[in-house]
Amino acid sequence: MELKDKLVSSFLAFENKGGLDLDSNVHELRLKAIQNFENQGFPSKKDEEWKYTNLKPLLKNDFCLFPETKNPVGYKNIREYLINEIESYTLIFVDGVFSSFLSDTTHEECDVCVLSSALTKPKYKMVIDNYFNTIAKENNSLAELNTAFTKEGAFINIPKNTIVPKPIQILYFSTGSENEVLLQPRNLVVVGENSHVQIIERHQNLSKNTTFTNAVTEIFAHKRAIVDFYKIQNDTNASSLVDSTFVSQKQQSVASVHTYSFGGKMTRNNLEFYHEGEHITSNLNGISILNGKQHVDNHTLVNHKFPNCESHELYKGIYSDKSAGVFNGKVIVQQAAQKTNAFQQNNNILIDDGASINAKPQLEIFADDVKCSHGCTIGQLDESALFYMQSRGIPKKEAKALLLFAFGNDVVEKIKIPQLKSRITKLIAENLGVQLGFDL
Amino acid sequence: MLSIKNLHANINDKEILKGINLEIKAGEVHAIMGPNGSGKSTLSAVIAGKEEYEVTQGSVILNNEDLEDSAPEERAHKGIFLSFQYPVEIPGVTVTNFIKTAINETRKAKGQEELPAKDMLKLIREKADLLEIDRKFLSRSLNEGFSGGEKKRNEIFQMAMLEPKLAILDETDSGLDIDALKVVANGVNKLKSKDNAVLVITHYQRLLDYIVPDFVHVLHNGKIVKSGGKELALELEAKGYDWLK
Amino acid sequence: MSKFTEDDLKKELETKEYEYGFYTDIEADKFPIGLNEEVVIAISKKKNEPDWMTEWRLKAFKVWKEMKEPEWANVHYKKPSFQDISYYSAPVQKPKLDSLDQVDPELLKTFEKLGISIDEQKRLSNVAVDIVVDSVSVATTFKKTLNEKGIIFMPISEAIQEHPELVKKYLGSIVPQSDNFYAALNSAVFSDGSFCYIPKGVTCPMELSTYFRINEGGTGQFERTLVIADKGSYVSYLEGCTAPQRDENQLHAAVVELIALDDAEIKYSTVQNWFPGGKDGKGGVYNFVTKRGLCEKNAKISWTQVETGSAVTWKYPSCVLKGDNSVGEFYSIAVTNNYQQADTGTKMIHLGNNTKSTIISKGVSAGKSQNSYRGLVQVGPRTKNARNFSQCDSLLMGDQCGAHTFPYIEAKNKTAQIEHEATTSKIGEDQLFYCNQRGIDTEKAIALIVNGFSKDVLNKLPMEFAVEAQKLLEISLEGSVG
Ligand SMILES: Nc1ncnc2c1ncn2[C@@H]1O[C@H](COP(=O)(O)OP(=O)(O)OP(=O)(O)O)[C@@H](O)[C@H]1O
Ligand SMILES: [Mg+2]
Repeated sequence: MELKDKLVSSFLAFENKGGLDLDSNVHELRLKAIQNFENQGFPSKKDEEWKYTNLKPLLKNDFCLFPETKNPVGYKNIREYLINEIESYTLIFVDGVFSSFLSDTTHEECDVCVLSSALTKPKYKMVIDNYFNTIAKENNSLAELNTAFTKEGAFINIPKNTIVPKPIQILYFSTGSENEVLLQPRNLVVVGENSHVQIIERHQNLSKNTTFTNAVTEIFAHKRAIVDFYKIQNDTNASSLVDSTFVSQKQQSVASVHTYSFGGKMTRNNLEFYHEGEHITSNLNGISILNGKQHVDNHTLVNHKFPNCESHELYKGIYSDKSAGVFNGKVIVQQAAQKTNAFQQNNNILIDDGASINAKPQLEIFADDVKCSHGCTIGQLDESALFYMQSRGIPKKEAKALLLFAFGNDVVEKIKIPQLKSRITKLIAENLGVQLGFDL
Repeated sequence: MLSIKNLHANINDKEILKGINLEIKAGEVHAIMGPNGSGKSTLSAVIAGKEEYEVTQGSVILNNEDLEDSAPEERAHKGIFLSFQYPVEIPGVTVTNFIKTAINETRKAKGQEELPAKDMLKLIREKADLLEIDRKFLSRSLNEGFSGGEKKRNEIFQMAMLEPKLAILDETDSGLDIDALKVVANGVNKLKSKDNAVLVITHYQRLLDYIVPDFVHVLHNGKIVKSGGKELALELEAKGYDWLK
Repeated sequence: MSKFTEDDLKKELETKEYEYGFYTDIEADKFPIGLNEEVVIAISKKKNEPDWMTEWRLKAFKVWKEMKEPEWANVHYKKPSFQDISYYSAPVQKPKLDSLDQVDPELLKTFEKLGISIDEQKRLSNVAVDIVVDSVSVATTFKKTLNEKGIIFMPISEAIQEHPELVKKYLGSIVPQSDNFYAALNSAVFSDGSFCYIPKGVTCPMELSTYFRINEGGTGQFERTLVIADKGSYVSYLEGCTAPQRDENQLHAAVVELIALDDAEIKYSTVQNWFPGGKDGKGGVYNFVTKRGLCEKNAKISWTQVETGSAVTWKYPSCVLKGDNSVGEFYSIAVTNNYQQADTGTKMIHLGNNTKSTIISKGVSAGKSQNSYRGLVQVGPRTKNARNFSQCDSLLMGDQCGAHTFPYIEAKNKTAQIEHEATTSKIGEDQLFYCNQRGIDTEKAIALIVNGFSKDVLNKLPMEFAVEAQKLLEISLEGSVG
């Protein structure tokens, strides 16, 4: 049976079996979502937005939709994937199920807990009704699919005037209890007025089996809120990820999403920013360092609807072997959005023959008093710089790594958590294939 | 020639000029000095007719004609020239093309024929030589990538081309080295006659050594607080502005 | 206030009549409307074409019937009904002309109004002109001078008769019949256009030029241009386009193919001034054009276009850089005003090693118009040392218009070096005040600034046409700062 049919036909069983409340608004949303998904199906290369990323091979797998964990996961299995050097709240999910044993949640100053309970507890009904699935796009069939099967994920609800004292780490693990597993986690993040939060998210396959994660995150930043969201993507070569993250911002808020893609077989990041007020700042940073046959597609949208807002987008890519990168950055400046300042830059380096990059930096401007620019480059390492370094005794491999590191450095520099910064630096060094001998 | 009476002007509802009175007669050189933000550039922009500024009281009269209803280009046609403190860049438009357009538009406004290309070229060369401007410079985009000094020299070159009745030089000396200063001052002096007048805005005495003013005015907080002869400039240089407050 | 305000400018702009909007009363020999196999055959018959040509057309028609009109461009319009168009309209006149004296005097007057009186051209400038009205080439000047050098410059209908081997070899070789919807339609029904062949090693001593004009109402114009520059030759070619003002939309679907063999260079310039439609968006030409050039070794093709006309423009002059060291260039200014829509750009396909391309695209949008740049830079996996530089700048006037950039960049070889930059800006108040202060009024100041903005492209036009192009920019834009 085709995956689409399988999904559609197991929807009823999912809702009934899952102990989900069938009278709730969420049930209505699920129902509508599965219908939308059924109508749209999975995107194909014929869709302009999927021109350079082919889902077909992935969808051929016979995915298990509701995996069960056979081998229990302990702290020692996951330790290396946590940033231990900092105190943090942690939300840990194994095969789609929350592990309270491994996690560290809170309800004190703010709610850092799980979506499943938020969806059912009356206490959270208002929040769910006001926010859940309000910005995930209906024309994104994969997001619709996620909505239909929404059950578990992170629920972060921060009231007004709260500075969350430590970062929040969200980790999704897959144990590969079946040969092919589909996971659909769902996060909801609501950040109140004047509040500040830092979140780190990661998806990790602990086995050699195939996983396909179809994740959706909705983030709401209220007036003057500051949100930093870091995505670490360094999964195994049997893991694929479609991540759809939607950010809605109110006036004077600052939201930043950082995406570090080093691993995974196929990764598609949909990242969309919607403005609901003036003087908003949106930051989008990304770095992809790929090798083998990896494929990463960064698809971003910043929709400027109000005057006096800013967006800064910086994506870098280093592609080795037969890896493929895609960058599609869309910036829309609507008629009312005068005095917009939108900046976008995408720089790429192709290391090997066989590596490729497809870039489509796209500007759609309907207002005249704006400052918008985009730049896109594809090139190689500066041979003369390489030679200079070699002549000073630095071996070619190290010299190359150093130059590549420098190339990506301005993205890394934007990380505000020092421990995370050094972790990312280490990952970059690993991925560039050199020992960490330098600390820039 | 120019008569400013009780001039009040606002920008963004903030009053910057608070009752300026100034009489400039043909053949005279006036200097305006004053601390930063006192309104010197504002005064020059209001005389030139910049629309962002709202004249709330008083008048600017040029040769017995109230300028209230005149657009900036009409004022230019009537002989007002403003050398900008910060000249504006116009990418892709060469110095030559720009000045050619300016001259011909002014001639057109006066009901004259366009200047034949040959005469135009001759005039441009003559004035460029006067200001020791390199020919190559003339085919560069207007003010784009010009150094501070080049921008100012180019302003005076345009002034030489347009031969205004009243030239307002807003800090034309800033950014000029001493040699350039002499060249520019020399250019201005060559153009001076019984029939025109110059209003020099500056912070430094040194320009006034070359362009010698008949009158010096001190502008402070939107008002002329003191006027005097050229020795006032020396006094200001020595004592600063504080004693005038 | 005596100041000429921006509102005044807007008003004047709105009432500005299309300067070239007149209609010549020449008797036309026009086909009944509609398109089917018989019409295709009839067109071919009318032109006395050999069988291979008729077959070629029919093949194109077959493909076209199966195709759908493309919808991916960023333009919105009521699709023309292809059965309501007459596919052939020729001014009635003696079939063969020996000299200009035999040209219909009405027609000559038309040219004079266009400012391209052939006599004038002949006397004053070094330009050979072929003129296509509605669908038929009516005159080619300078034939003799060109003949001496072995240069062939004639209507393509004649070339089919006189140089079938060349036409057969190259027609459709770069833009095949099945390339796209409009190209297929053109291949089936094209009635005339220009043909040009420059022999080996010859530098064409003068600009070659074609003027296209749609005259008759309810007709479509489908010209076909084929330019072949043999090894080591050089030619500079210019096309100009105008159409009278009409309430209904007129369709123009041309195909241009350029072939630059080893070491040859073709410079192809277009000044497009089809009727853009009224200020209310009524009428105007639909301009759906396929232009493509092929570069062999060390060859160079340079497209320069000044696009001020048409209600809807859909046009991507492209270069296939097949030979090593070949060079492709695209310089474009597209100005849109009122309800005009333009979706234009280029494709640079790098196949040969050390190939280079440059793209400079300037878009100016005013009124309620939409102006899009759409471009593709492609470097194949076996292409070494390809270089591209692209610069796309947009200038917006007023908050009712839009400027869009859709660049596609595809690199599959590590030695590729590609740089793309895009900016958006508006005319600054301080720039206008500076000009005003020097005695230049706002309208003139805008023209000056836009000219400066477009300079990198205007500079690429042949001298004779740069001035005309500059004037066109002014006419199509006057005012419109918002
Ligand atoms: N657009 C504006 N909005 C608000 N205030 C303004 C504006 N432009 C000028 N001003 C204010 O007007 C005052 C006078 O400015 P102006 O430029 O005339 O001073 P100035 O005497 O020329 O100073 P300087 O010696 O630094 O050139 C300053 O306080 C300045 O901040
Ligand atoms: Mg000043």
